[in-house]
Amino acid sequence: MRRWLVPLVPLLATAPLHAQSSATGVRDLTFGTVIRGVQTSVAATDPVKSGRFHVRHIQGRQVRLQLTLPNRLDRVGGGGTMNINFGPHDAVARGTAPSSAPFTFNPQANRLFTLDASPDFYLNLGGRVSPAAGQAAGTYTGTVVLTAIFF
Amino acid sequence: MTRASALVAVLLGVAASAGHAQSANVTVRAQVGAAMTVTGARALSFGNVTAGVASTIPVNGVTSGRFLVNGPGNTGIRLSFTLPGTLVNGGSTLPIGAWTACRNNNNNSTNGCTAFTPSGAGTTATLHPSGNMNVFVGGTVTPAANQAGGLYTGTVTLTVSYI
Repeated sequence: MRRWLVPLVPLLATAPLHAQSSATGVRDLTFGTVIRGVQTSVAATDPVKSGRFHVRHIQGRQVRLQLTLPNRLDRVGGGGTMNINFGPHDAVARGTAPSSAPFTFNPQANRLFTLDASPDFYLNLGGRVSPAAGQAAGTYTGTVVLTAIFF
Repeated sequence: MTRASALVAVLLGVAASAGHAQSANVTVRAQVGAAMTVTGARALSFGNVTAGVASTIPVNGVTSGRFLVNGPGNTGIRLSFTLPGTLVNGGSTLPIGAWTACRNNNNNSTNGCTAFTPSGAGTTATLHPSGNMNVFVGGTVTPAANQAGGLYTGTVTLTVSYI
Protein backbone atom coordinates (compact mmCIF):
# COMPACT_ATOMS: atom_id res chain seq x y z
CA MET A 1 0.00 0.00 0.00
CA ARG A 2 1.35 3.34 -0.95
CA ARG A 3 1.07 6.06 1.59
CA TRP A 4 1.07 9.73 0.92
CA LEU A 5 2.71 12.08 3.36
CA VAL A 6 0.66 15.21 3.40
CA PRO A 7 2.28 18.10 5.21
CA LEU A 8 0.03 19.95 7.61
CA VAL A 9 0.31 23.67 7.25
CA PRO A 10 -1.36 25.81 9.87
CA LEU A 11 -3.88 28.26 8.45
CA LEU A 12 -3.59 31.65 10.09
CA ALA A 13 -6.92 33.30 10.79
CA THR A 14 -6.80 37.02 10.06
CA ALA A 15 -9.51 39.54 9.34
CA PRO A 16 -10.20 39.63 5.60
CA LEU A 17 -8.91 42.73 3.81
CA HIS A 18 -12.38 43.83 2.81
CA ALA A 19 -13.44 44.13 6.46
CA GLN A 20 -10.75 46.77 7.00
CA SER A 21 -11.53 48.82 3.91
CA SER A 22 -14.23 51.29 3.08
CA ALA A 23 -15.12 54.13 0.74
CA THR A 24 -17.82 56.56 1.84
CA GLY A 25 -19.41 59.65 0.32
CA VAL A 26 -19.18 62.37 2.98
CA ARG A 27 -20.37 65.56 1.28
CA ASP A 28 -22.14 66.48 -1.97
CA LEU A 29 -20.57 68.80 -4.54
CA THR A 30 -22.80 71.85 -4.30
CA PHE A 31 -22.63 74.82 -6.66
CA GLY A 32 -25.54 76.63 -5.02
CA THR A 33 -27.39 79.22 -7.07
CA VAL A 34 -25.74 79.86 -10.41
CA ILE A 35 -26.37 82.62 -12.90
CA ARG A 36 -27.48 82.02 -16.43
CA GLY A 37 -24.68 82.43 -18.91
CA VAL A 38 -22.01 82.59 -16.19
CA GLN A 39 -19.67 79.68 -15.57
CA THR A 40 -19.47 78.83 -11.88
CA SER A 41 -16.63 76.94 -10.25
CA VAL A 42 -16.17 75.18 -6.95
CA ALA A 43 -12.58 74.59 -5.91
CA ALA A 44 -11.61 71.19 -4.58
CA THR A 45 -10.32 73.05 -1.51
CA ASP A 46 -13.68 74.70 -0.80
CA PRO A 47 -14.51 73.54 2.75
CA VAL A 48 -18.26 73.76 2.25
CA LYS A 49 -19.14 73.24 -1.38
CA SER A 50 -16.61 70.67 -2.59
CA GLY A 51 -17.59 67.02 -2.84
CA ARG A 52 -15.86 64.77 -0.34
CA PHE A 53 -15.14 61.07 0.11
CA HIS A 54 -13.51 59.19 2.94
CA VAL A 55 -11.39 56.15 2.12
CA ARG A 56 -10.05 53.74 4.71
CA HIS A 57 -7.72 50.79 4.25
CA ILE A 58 -4.57 49.44 5.89
CA GLN A 59 -1.56 51.67 6.48
CA GLY A 60 1.21 50.73 4.11
CA ARG A 61 -1.18 49.21 1.58
CA GLN A 62 -2.35 50.62 -1.72
CA VAL A 63 -5.65 51.87 -3.02
CA ARG A 64 -6.52 52.63 -6.63
CA LEU A 65 -9.13 55.32 -7.10
CA GLN A 66 -11.35 55.75 -10.12
CA LEU A 67 -13.95 58.52 -10.37
CA THR A 68 -16.88 58.25 -12.71
CA LEU A 69 -17.79 61.85 -13.44
CA PRO A 70 -20.91 63.23 -15.11
CA ASN A 71 -20.57 65.57 -18.09
CA ARG A 72 -23.97 67.08 -17.51
CA LEU A 73 -26.47 67.69 -14.72
CA ASP A 74 -30.13 66.91 -15.28
CA ARG A 75 -32.95 69.18 -14.26
CA VAL A 76 -35.10 67.70 -11.53
CA GLY A 77 -38.47 67.04 -13.12
CA GLY A 78 -36.99 67.06 -16.57
CA GLY A 79 -36.80 69.81 -19.11
CA GLY A 80 -33.11 70.58 -19.35
CA THR A 81 -29.49 69.77 -18.74
CA MET A 82 -26.49 71.80 -17.62
CA ASN A 83 -22.93 71.16 -18.70
CA ILE A 84 -20.37 70.30 -16.06
CA ASN A 85 -16.67 69.63 -16.44
CA PHE A 86 -13.71 68.70 -14.29
CA GLY A 87 -10.17 69.97 -14.77
CA PRO A 88 -6.66 68.83 -13.86
CA HIS A 89 -6.75 70.48 -10.43
CA ASP A 90 -10.22 69.47 -9.37
CA ALA A 91 -9.29 66.61 -7.05
CA VAL A 92 -7.29 66.79 -3.83
CA ALA A 93 -6.37 63.82 -1.65
CA ARG A 94 -4.98 64.16 1.84
CA GLY A 95 -4.23 61.66 4.56
CA THR A 96 -5.47 62.20 8.09
CA ALA A 97 -2.00 62.20 9.66
CA PRO A 98 -0.80 65.71 10.70
CA SER A 99 2.21 65.27 8.46
CA SER A 100 0.12 64.48 5.39
CA ALA A 101 0.32 67.02 2.58
CA PRO A 102 -2.51 67.55 0.09
CA PHE A 103 -2.04 66.00 -3.32
CA THR A 104 -3.79 67.63 -6.26
CA PHE A 105 -4.62 65.57 -9.30
CA ASN A 106 -6.89 65.24 -12.30
CA PRO A 107 -10.07 63.40 -11.28
CA GLN A 108 -10.43 62.12 -14.84
CA ALA A 109 -7.42 59.83 -14.35
CA ASN A 110 -7.15 56.72 -12.19
CA ARG A 111 -4.69 57.07 -9.35
CA LEU A 112 -2.86 54.58 -7.17
CA PHE A 113 -2.18 55.74 -3.62
CA THR A 114 0.00 54.16 -0.98
CA LEU A 115 -1.20 54.83 2.55
CA ASP A 116 2.14 55.79 4.05
CA ALA A 117 1.24 57.94 7.04
CA SER A 118 -2.31 56.95 7.92
CA PRO A 119 -4.81 54.18 7.18
CA ASP A 120 -7.31 56.63 5.78
CA PHE A 121 -7.59 59.78 3.74
CA TYR A 122 -10.08 62.22 2.29
CA LEU A 123 -10.67 62.96 -1.37
CA ASN A 124 -12.15 66.36 -2.21
CA LEU A 125 -13.67 67.15 -5.59
CA GLY A 126 -14.35 70.46 -7.32
CA GLY A 127 -15.62 71.32 -10.79
CA ARG A 128 -17.41 73.90 -12.89
CA VAL A 129 -20.85 74.23 -14.38
CA SER A 130 -21.78 76.26 -17.45
CA PRO A 131 -25.41 77.31 -17.35
CA ALA A 132 -26.70 78.48 -20.70
CA ALA A 133 -27.97 82.02 -21.18
CA GLY A 134 -31.47 80.64 -21.39
CA GLN A 135 -31.08 77.94 -18.76
CA ALA A 136 -34.42 76.91 -17.30
CA ALA A 137 -34.89 77.70 -13.63
CA GLY A 138 -34.76 74.76 -11.28
CA THR A 139 -32.48 72.31 -9.55
CA TYR A 140 -29.98 70.30 -11.54
CA THR A 141 -28.32 67.17 -10.20
CA GLY A 142 -25.83 64.50 -11.15
CA THR A 143 -23.86 61.72 -9.48
CA VAL A 144 -20.16 61.18 -8.95
CA VAL A 145 -19.12 57.59 -8.28
CA LEU A 146 -15.85 56.76 -6.58
CA THR A 147 -14.60 53.20 -7.08
CA ALA A 148 -11.79 52.24 -4.72
CA ILE A 149 -9.81 49.07 -5.35
CA PHE A 150 -7.96 47.93 -2.27
CA PHE A 151 -4.74 45.92 -2.42
CA MET B 1 -2.64 15.60 -9.99
CA THR B 2 -1.30 14.06 -6.77
CA ARG B 3 -2.94 14.81 -3.50
CA ALA B 4 0.15 16.64 -2.18
CA SER B 5 0.41 18.91 -5.21
CA ALA B 6 -3.32 19.69 -5.04
CA LEU B 7 -2.92 20.97 -1.48
CA VAL B 8 -0.03 23.23 -2.50
CA ALA B 9 -2.10 24.60 -5.33
CA VAL B 10 -4.88 25.49 -2.92
CA LEU B 11 -2.49 27.26 -0.55
CA LEU B 12 -1.04 29.25 -3.41
CA GLY B 13 -4.59 30.23 -4.39
CA VAL B 14 -5.26 31.61 -0.88
CA ALA B 15 -2.03 33.64 -0.78
CA ALA B 16 -2.51 35.30 -4.16
CA SER B 17 -5.79 37.16 -3.48
CA ALA B 18 -6.81 39.97 -5.87
CA GLY B 19 -7.71 43.52 -4.82
CA HIS B 20 -11.30 44.10 -3.87
CA ALA B 21 -13.41 47.07 -4.85
CA GLN B 22 -15.94 49.30 -3.16
CA SER B 23 -17.91 52.22 -4.54
CA ALA B 24 -19.34 55.37 -3.01
CA ASN B 25 -21.46 58.18 -4.43
CA VAL B 26 -21.91 61.88 -3.88
CA THR B 27 -24.51 64.04 -5.57
CA VAL B 28 -23.73 67.16 -7.59
CA ARG B 29 -26.25 70.02 -7.31
CA ALA B 30 -26.74 73.40 -8.91
CA GLN B 31 -29.68 75.73 -8.71
CA VAL B 32 -30.81 78.17 -11.38
CA GLY B 33 -33.11 80.83 -9.98
CA ALA B 34 -35.20 83.48 -11.56
CA ALA B 35 -33.37 86.55 -12.74
CA MET B 36 -32.34 89.13 -10.15
CA THR B 37 -32.88 92.87 -10.65
CA VAL B 38 -31.41 95.89 -8.87
CA THR B 39 -33.01 99.28 -9.40
CA GLY B 40 -31.91 102.71 -8.25
CA ALA B 41 -35.19 103.95 -6.78
CA ARG B 42 -34.14 107.26 -5.22
CA ALA B 43 -31.10 109.51 -5.41
CA LEU B 44 -29.12 110.44 -2.29
CA SER B 45 -29.64 114.18 -2.13
CA PHE B 46 -27.96 116.59 0.29
CA GLY B 47 -29.76 119.62 -1.04
CA ASN B 48 -28.09 122.97 -0.43
CA VAL B 49 -25.04 122.71 1.80
CA THR B 50 -23.02 125.46 3.42
CA ALA B 51 -19.36 125.96 2.69
CA GLY B 52 -17.26 124.84 5.63
CA VAL B 53 -20.14 122.96 7.26
CA ALA B 54 -20.42 119.17 6.99
CA SER B 55 -23.84 117.87 6.08
CA THR B 56 -25.17 114.38 6.80
CA ILE B 57 -28.11 112.50 5.36
CA PRO B 58 -28.95 109.48 7.53
CA VAL B 59 -30.41 106.33 6.05
CA ASN B 60 -33.82 107.25 7.44
CA GLY B 61 -33.70 110.70 5.89
CA VAL B 62 -36.36 111.48 3.32
CA THR B 63 -33.65 112.10 0.77
CA SER B 64 -31.48 109.09 1.51
CA GLY B 65 -30.57 106.93 -1.45
CA ARG B 66 -32.67 103.82 -2.02
CA PHE B 67 -32.22 100.69 -4.12
CA LEU B 68 -34.79 98.00 -4.76
CA VAL B 69 -33.54 94.44 -5.12
CA ASN B 70 -35.72 91.65 -6.44
CA GLY B 71 -34.77 88.01 -6.90
CA PRO B 72 -35.63 84.45 -5.89
CA GLY B 73 -37.08 84.44 -2.39
CA ASN B 74 -34.99 83.04 0.46
CA THR B 75 -31.82 83.31 -1.62
CA GLY B 76 -28.52 84.26 -0.06
CA ILE B 77 -27.01 87.36 -1.64
CA ARG B 78 -24.06 89.71 -1.24
CA LEU B 79 -24.52 93.49 -1.38
CA SER B 80 -21.35 95.17 -2.68
CA PHE B 81 -20.96 98.91 -3.18
CA THR B 82 -18.80 101.16 -5.29
CA LEU B 83 -18.73 104.46 -3.43
CA PRO B 84 -17.29 107.77 -4.63
CA GLY B 85 -14.84 109.68 -2.49
CA THR B 86 -15.85 113.00 -3.98
CA LEU B 87 -18.71 114.64 -5.80
CA VAL B 88 -17.72 116.56 -8.89
CA ASN B 89 -18.70 119.87 -10.46
CA GLY B 90 -16.47 120.51 -13.42
CA GLY B 91 -13.02 121.02 -11.98
CA SER B 92 -14.23 121.26 -8.38
CA THR B 93 -14.70 118.38 -5.99
CA LEU B 94 -16.66 117.97 -2.79
CA PRO B 95 -15.54 115.24 -0.37
CA ILE B 96 -18.12 112.63 0.61
CA GLY B 97 -17.81 109.74 3.03
CA ALA B 98 -18.99 108.27 6.34
CA TRP B 99 -21.30 106.02 4.37
CA THR B 100 -24.16 104.29 6.12
CA ALA B 101 -26.72 101.80 4.91
CA CYS B 102 -29.56 99.66 6.06
CA ARG B 103 -31.71 97.01 4.41
CA ASN B 104 -35.31 96.11 4.86
CA ASN B 105 -36.95 93.04 3.41
CA ASN B 106 -40.14 93.66 1.53
CA ASN B 107 -40.65 97.00 3.27
CA ASN B 108 -40.22 100.42 1.72
CA SER B 109 -39.32 101.94 5.08
CA THR B 110 -36.32 102.17 7.36
CA ASN B 111 -38.40 101.14 10.39
CA GLY B 112 -36.79 98.01 11.75
CA CYS B 113 -34.20 97.92 9.01
CA THR B 114 -30.88 96.16 9.52
CA ALA B 115 -27.99 98.61 9.55
CA PHE B 116 -24.65 97.83 7.94
CA THR B 117 -21.62 99.63 6.55
CA PRO B 118 -21.63 99.66 2.77
CA SER B 119 -18.36 98.42 1.29
CA GLY B 120 -16.77 96.90 -1.76
CA ALA B 121 -16.19 93.63 0.06
CA GLY B 122 -19.91 93.35 0.54
CA THR B 123 -22.41 92.30 3.14
CA THR B 124 -24.37 89.08 3.02
CA ALA B 125 -28.11 88.87 3.46
CA THR B 126 -31.07 86.68 2.58
CA LEU B 127 -33.91 87.84 0.42
CA HIS B 128 -37.38 87.88 1.90
CA PRO B 129 -39.67 85.07 0.68
CA SER B 130 -41.26 87.67 -1.54
CA GLY B 131 -37.89 88.21 -3.19
CA ASN B 132 -37.84 91.94 -2.37
CA MET B 133 -35.31 94.03 -0.46
CA ASN B 134 -34.96 97.79 0.00
CA VAL B 135 -31.46 99.14 0.62
CA PHE B 136 -31.09 102.67 1.98
CA VAL B 137 -27.87 104.68 1.78
CA GLY B 138 -26.74 107.75 3.66
CA GLY B 139 -23.51 109.72 3.91
CA THR B 140 -21.76 112.96 4.81
CA VAL B 141 -20.38 115.69 2.55
CA THR B 142 -17.67 117.98 3.83
CA PRO B 143 -17.55 121.22 1.84
CA ALA B 144 -14.45 123.32 2.23
CA ALA B 145 -14.67 126.82 3.60
CA ASN B 146 -14.02 128.13 0.10
CA GLN B 147 -16.04 125.50 -1.69
CA ALA B 148 -17.03 126.72 -5.13
CA GLY B 149 -20.74 127.02 -5.68
CA GLY B 150 -22.58 124.72 -8.02
CA LEU B 151 -24.18 121.32 -8.39
CA TYR B 152 -21.90 118.43 -7.37
CA THR B 153 -22.78 114.89 -8.42
CA GLY B 154 -21.47 111.36 -8.08
CA THR B 155 -22.61 107.75 -8.47
CA VAL B 156 -23.17 105.00 -5.97
CA THR B 157 -23.27 101.54 -7.48
CA LEU B 158 -24.83 98.54 -5.76
CA THR B 159 -23.90 95.10 -7.05
CA VAL B 160 -25.92 92.14 -5.87
CA SER B 161 -24.56 88.63 -6.32
CA TYR B 162 -25.58 85.14 -5.27
CA ILE B 163 -23.61 83.48 -2.52
